[in-house]
Amino acid sequence: MNHFPSQWGKPRQENVDEYNTVPLYNNMPQSHAAAGPMTRTQQPVVTGTSVIALKYKDGIMMAADNLASYGSLARFRDIERLHPVGEHTIIGASGDISDYQYIQHMLQNVMIDQHCEDDGHTLGTPHIYEYLFRVMYNRRSKFNPLWNALVVGGVHKGERFLGYVDLKGTTYQNSTIATGFGGHLAQPILRKAVEGREDTLTEEEAIKIIDDCMRVLFYRDARSINKLQRAKITAEGFEITEPYSVETEWSFAESIRGYGA
Amino acid sequence: MSGIGTGYDIYSSTYSPDGRLFQIEYANKAVENSGTAIGLRVKGGVVLAVEKLVQSKLVVPGSNKRILSADMHVGIVSAGLLSDGRYIAQSARDEAKSWRDNYRQPISGKSMADRLGLFVQAHTLYSSVRPLGAGTIIGTYLDGEATLYMIEPSGVYWGYHGCAVGKGKSVAKTEIEKLKLDEMSVQEAVREAARIIHTAHDEAKDKDFELEITWICEESKGKHTAVPKDIVEEAERLAKESIKSEMDDA
Amino acid sequence: MNFLDSPLSKPAPYVVAPIEHRFDPYEDNGGTSVAIAGEDFCVVASDTRQSNGYMINSRYAPKAYKMSSTAVLSCNGFHADGVTLKKVLEQRMKMYKYSHDKDMSVTALAQMLSNTLYQRRFFPYYAFCLLGGVDADGKGAVYCYDSVGSFERENYRTSGSASALIQPFLDNQVGRKNQQNASTAPLTLEAVLRITKDAFTSATERDIHTGDNLQIFVITRDGVEEQNFPLKKD
Repeated sequence: MNHFPSQWGKPRQENVDEYNTVPLYNNMPQSHAAAGPMTRTQQPVVTGTSVIALKYKDGIMMAADNLASYGSLARFRDIERLHPVGEHTIIGASGDISDYQYIQHMLQNVMIDQHCEDDGHTLGTPHIYEYLFRVMYNRRSKFNPLWNALVVGGVHKGERFLGYVDLKGTTYQNSTIATGFGGHLAQPILRKAVEGREDTLTEEEAIKIIDDCMRVLFYRDARSINKLQRAKITAEGFEITEPYSVETEWSFAESIRGYGA
Repeated sequence: MSGIGTGYDIYSSTYSPDGRLFQIEYANKAVENSGTAIGLRVKGGVVLAVEKLVQSKLVVPGSNKRILSADMHVGIVSAGLLSDGRYIAQSARDEAKSWRDNYRQPISGKSMADRLGLFVQAHTLYSSVRPLGAGTIIGTYLDGEATLYMIEPSGVYWGYHGCAVGKGKSVAKTEIEKLKLDEMSVQEAVREAARIIHTAHDEAKDKDFELEITWICEESKGKHTAVPKDIVEEAERLAKESIKSEMDDA
Repeated sequence: MNFLDSPLSKPAPYVVAPIEHRFDPYEDNGGTSVAIAGEDFCVVASDTRQSNGYMINSRYAPKAYKMSSTAVLSCNGFHADGVTLKKVLEQRMKMYKYSHDKDMSVTALAQMLSNTLYQRRFFPYYAFCLLGGVDADGKGAVYCYDSVGSFERENYRTSGSASALIQPFLDNQVGRKNQQNASTAPLTLEAVLRITKDAFTSATERDIHTGDNLQIFVITRDGVEEQNFPLKKD
């Protein structure tokens, strides 16, 4: 998958919108007449970059930064992209932020309906995952996708659950997941650190792996910032950290003209 | 009743010469035949309780809930025709959802009472519908603020510190008036609610009943949920004890 | 020269090349399946890798589904369409069961799968299906489909990203094509499993979309049995 959400679902061509100016003015329709008949979401506008997640001994750990970009502009720097649903599930979202907020609203309605039923049933992580899969798939089938790649993590009936759903309805479960640019940069690190060790990794080790990946992403992903949140979900419930930064090292830049000094 | 046979009680859209609406008064009668429901608004939340009269031994305990939720933070209990109560609760759910769709915020107790008041009142205007035979208590708790409203079949509603509807409403009201609701915790309110429902229950006339209690407070994480079983059982034990000692005193 | 005619007064207009945005609702998630019918059994095998371009999404995302005690379906192509198709079939199979009070035969399921695919003729399920099972006579059956529902009953078939690698191998080993004095005796289950595993280990070497694990379903009159076999993870 291409790292930049505005390119998702479009032909893989290097000469298309090279500088990621979408959604800036020169791509906008020149007049209303040129805009033609009713259009649907064909590109994301305000976007969030990678979400990464892994399975560890006690549950799931997930992280995302707090940036919402407008094209290459770092537009909002305090957006929360990790969202709890119920007591044991967290959804991490990359892609279009307004679509993501709509999804939050939709899920809240579902949770309220469940609450009002008052029949003792609650939606667990796999149910929320399946629901999102159907919503995303049905929207893509109407050619009106919700432009997101979502990570669903949680613990249900003592089982860890970590799954991925995106704008086309593609789903998979894995012990490590990374969306967007993270698929290129973080996924290899995650796989090397996690695969086969899901049942023995401690919380401290998991935090270190997550922070190492987020550091690499901050160094190399131009649509990221060094302000992020991390969530863990265990059988006891979830915890989302306050926004924090990872340690970075820039002394090498001192000697490079036009970089540091 | 004075209206009978005069023809002024055929439609709820017809006044009697002395300015009364008999159909609405009949609806109030329907409410007064029902098991008592009360609401208490205290410092950190609201407590709703109802005396659910068990019609038959064949009914599964805990089934046919009388206290319903309209949103995470909105509890509704009604006395009167149960189906009308559910109809009002459904309308409350629609209002709560529509508010969230429009404003992306939970609905306030005041707005909910206002919307439901209009809804109930609309059923007093037309000859094609009958007034709703349910008195409805709405409890909400939002950002540390608790509200309590009660809507009557006429559509009129008031905000309350404590309120009661149904058979035992006068007994319950006298009991509620004795309480210092402003200084009370929700835990105490649960115990008082249990005691009041037990006091209002008329053993001579009614057979068995189930006590249903819900709350919305910090302890329930701001959600309208049933009060945990152990707390209810303890409250009921204390209620029975206090009623017994009162009887012994008398 | 008049100023207005000078080139300075008319800078070249900034040409905006329109960018083609068309949402492509499909994706190719790779993967390969093989189905071989025996005398009184059927084998359906699929690898469990799910990929997208050069990326591996998951090493274990099964794309073969047990549909009944006599039928297994595998869907290659777009995973989301495959899962949805499976769901639709399951619902329709339930309706059949409620209406007729019996389980659907593979033969009936095969026709229904074709109809289900054809219903979406103008917005197809991007799913290339193989349906394997044992029919009402207890004989092994393999049905293979294109994405819009044309289908055929065969003795063996492979579909998916490595099908071009595996089909000639099956033609030779199962169909006994281009062999002189080859035996015409029906293949045993052991032979079929050996051929299947060999086909996948070889395809895994050459096709980057195939690998990780092999899920093998053996369908007999007595039901469906599942086996798992590791493939290379590179």
